[in-house]
Amino acid sequence: MDIIDAFIIIGVAALIHASFQLGVSMLTLLGSHTIGKNRSHAKLLRLTGSYLLGAGVMTALLLSTTSLVLLAIFESQDIPLLAWAITCGLLMGLGVAMWAFYYRKEQGTTLWLPRSLATYLAQRTKATHLSGEAFGLGLTGVFAELLFIIGPLAISALVLIQLPAAWQLAGVGFYTLISLLSLLIVAGLIGSGHRISQIQKWRETNKRFLQFIGGGGLMILGLYVYVEKVITVLTEAGMQ
Amino acid sequence: MKDAIIDIVKREGQRPSEPFQADKLYASIYAACLSVRAHEGEARKIANTITELVTAWCNTKPEVTSGDLRRVAARHLTAYHPDAAYLYTQHKLIL
Repeated sequence: MDIIDAFIIIGVAALIHASFQLGVSMLTLLGSHTIGKNRSHAKLLRLTGSYLLGAGVMTALLLSTTSLVLLAIFESQDIPLLAWAITCGLLMGLGVAMWAFYYRKEQGTTLWLPRSLATYLAQRTKATHLSGEAFGLGLTGVFAELLFIIGPLAISALVLIQLPAAWQLAGVGFYTLISLLSLLIVAGLIGSGHRISQIQKWRETNKRFLQFIGGGGLMILGLYVYVEKVITVLTEAGMQ
Repeated sequence: MKDAIIDIVKREGQRPSEPFQADKLYASIYAACLSVRAHEGEARKIANTITELVTAWCNTKPEVTSGDLRRVAARHLTAYHPDAAYLYTQHKLIL
């Protein structure tokens, strides 16, 4: 796999990661409470900035850790077909799960999270008034969605560990930046004075579309990598 | 602002009832208005009006649930500030 192919797969995986909505929901809630408490615009920017930083740090840490674990398992950098097949199966399974139960059948944008965890996150978001707390919230937001994030992370990590060391670092940065796109857009909208209600209305109206492209993206990526890494290799081996 | 003398049934009785507090309702409406970038004066005025309307409504009822309170407040708020009403009803449905 050449570097461009690797970065395309990492980029698509990161875009799918960016379509997950827990982080966006928490950021929307954080913005809403901060503005509702009449805090200054500078404070709003500090809190949303710290939240973004926390989310970015956790994403980079999770991807690095997953890569390290996979590197320890597959020391030779020659990844067995079974590992590719399992990861592709994971992606496709997550795609189906996303289509089936990512959003609850209620009004609004309530997610699959257990209600106790969602209530806890909402309370913590409401109570956040320091940049450090917002940073912690960003870390937590990414970690709480690990059930879905693990798919794009795993496939990116498998691709990353085959690259030269310098490109691995660039790959982690690239994935982190792309995965933060949705948060960056929402933070930009909040910071530039858009109404939270407009952002939330857009999210509610388009939630089924986001669910469809997120789940579809996972399945297509899984299928593509399966064909590229498993079927192609098996076919070539059969020809020889 | 005078509180209505009535107990609010919380979460269909799953949590202990508590007396109606107009200040609490006022603060939530005020915050919802500010969240949609309403000016402070406008937010105060709307929050006052809605609180008075809801308090008057409470006085006609023997028992009120927190859900009823929220629905009535949102209905009145829609007439004054639809965006704030939307956020007021949505804030528990975001996560």
